[in-house]
Amino acid sequence: MRAPVGTKPQTNRDRLVRTRLKAQIQPAAANRVVGPDGVLRTLPGQGGVVTGIGLGSRAGEWRGDHVEPGISLGHPEPAVNHAIRQFSCVGNLVTLLDGPAAGAKGIVYGKHGAVLAMFEPGEVSRMAPGEWAAIEAEGVGLRCGQMPDLSLHSCSPELFERLGTITSDNRLRVGVAAILPSIAAAAGIGMPAAMFNMDLHSSSAPVAELTEGLGFGDIVAVLDQDHRHARRYRRGWSMVGVISHGRTTGGGHGFGLMTLLTAPSDQFMFEKTDTANLSNFIELPWVSA
Amino acid sequence: MTKAMDLRDNRHELVAVNVAGQVAPARIHAEVLLVDEGGRSMLLPGTGGVNLGVHTGDPVANWIADHLMPGASIEDANGEPAVAGPLHLLSCVGNGVRDGKGRRIGVVSGKRGGLAPGGWAPQLVGVEIPDTVAQTLCPHDRIVVETVGRGLRLAEWPDVELINLSPGMLDALPMQVRNGTLSCPVRAVVPATMAGAGLGQDSWIGDLEIAGDECSDGRLDGLCFGDLVAFEAIDGRVSRFYRPGVLSIGVVSHGPSHVPGHGIGVTILLSAPVEFLSGTVSQEGSVGAILRQWAEDGTAPHTRHAGGEDD
Repeated sequence: MRAPVGTKPQTNRDRLVRTRLKAQIQPAAANRVVGPDGVLRTLPGQGGVVTGIGLGSRAGEWRGDHVEPGISLGHPEPAVNHAIRQFSCVGNLVTLLDGPAAGAKGIVYGKHGAVLAMFEPGEVSRMAPGEWAAIEAEGVGLRCGQMPDLSLHSCSPELFERLGTITSDNRLRVGVAAILPSIAAAAGIGMPAAMFNMDLHSSSAPVAELTEGLGFGDIVAVLDQDHRHARRYRRGWSMVGVISHGRTTGGGHGFGLMTLLTAPSDQFMFEKTDTANLSNFIELPWVSA
Repeated sequence: MTKAMDLRDNRHELVAVNVAGQVAPARIHAEVLLVDEGGRSMLLPGTGGVNLGVHTGDPVANWIADHLMPGASIEDANGEPAVAGPLHLLSCVGNGVRDGKGRRIGVVSGKRGGLAPGGWAPQLVGVEIPDTVAQTLCPHDRIVVETVGRGLRLAEWPDVELINLSPGMLDALPMQVRNGTLSCPVRAVVPATMAGAGLGQDSWIGDLEIAGDECSDGRLDGLCFGDLVAFEAIDGRVSRFYRPGVLSIGVVSHGPSHVPGHGIGVTILLSAPVEFLSGTVSQEGSVGAILRQWAEDGTAPHTRHAGGEDD
């Protein structure tokens, strides 16, 4: 990780609420989808326990449809599930509560329909749907003192403080794996920015080339996107997100980019780097332990 | 009913299916934003229910509403409002609709939904209905859609995909052959950057919404329910997504929304590469008046009678 240039963001993290949430590993889905080529494919879909794919693994390499590496957490009661989706933030600690991997510690790395968590690979392979985990949710309400126009979603203070630095003219300097044009935005437009994610047109030109090689957990910017409230196109704004799910079959779907930050474009300074992955910004509990 | 032009198609091969459903109740969905970008409450009518005095041909901006559809919104009566069932998947614009007693009540005018089919309600079908009839309808009333249109193809234009389009509606589209392409008059042409909610979903489910700042540049002024709109660089043949060189033309099915990324809804009817299909901005580019006329007359074109004979 390169030495930070600029000052550390000031945040209101000492005023944020940390809530323990209990969520259940969701069942696996087999997605039957007709592609733009007219071919019906049935491939592993969202949910379940996906082993052997970690943070940094290339999102386009795996033959799946919206595959979520690691475990996918939700809750059978809709109102509880809503709270889990809303309050969980990338970087939050997750602890398995039961099953053979009880006690294993991991982190939230993204969202889709469920909240997505990654653990040490050997631990993931011992987990199964139906088991429960505790999420120490913290991050909703996070603000940056130097940047009042910056909105943060699903972003823990730990992640934000390491993700970027504040320049002398109060811009956020942030390393990204790719900078994409707004036409990259596909399914997910119109959905609340604090939940789910935005699929990218990652299988068609020009976005395919720009997203080739992206990995799970990579930090990516999309221009002309305003994600303060629900996701929308707006010239002069940008969003920064994290790659959360893999390739897809259907047109209008692709890599899932979960919203972390949005602000007027001139308040960002994007630097393309090959180290812009969550694993370089978050202490992974199985590594630091 | 005069045909705009003679297009040979396969309507004699189509299966007509009567599908039962219900008038959808008005709903509020907890997972969408409940305030707009200015912090104002967005709990406005528009989703489900029977909307009196709102008709195809009326300007969509006339009402303070959210995702407003003319007449009655109907849905599959499967207990899963998020799931687009056979009523949604088989209904085509121009199909006749009757109530549980067999009374003809109106004509399918469009669809709304598709944000996350199966995961997110609503999945609604809009029905243009005369007010005198609408006043007698209630949510949960049984209705029947006389569906026909799935499988419809043009003999000379195999590359033009027809979606959500009944044979009668096809006849009413004022299309012409121009410069070697099938040309359809539209009231507005919008770029792919204005394609909002509804991207990535089945073209037969719901609609694609017009969103973004360019909405206020005047090109959508005066747009009415039932008007035709073309999306540039949107492929609507299998699902709805960005693809340069492919045009999608649809009908305005619901009104605007304050929800960011949402806006006026367009249910896709035609989609093809631009060498086969074009959209020309013209006052003719609307089917709002004809849908209202069909509903008031109590007739939907191409209703198949017992014995297989067509109107």
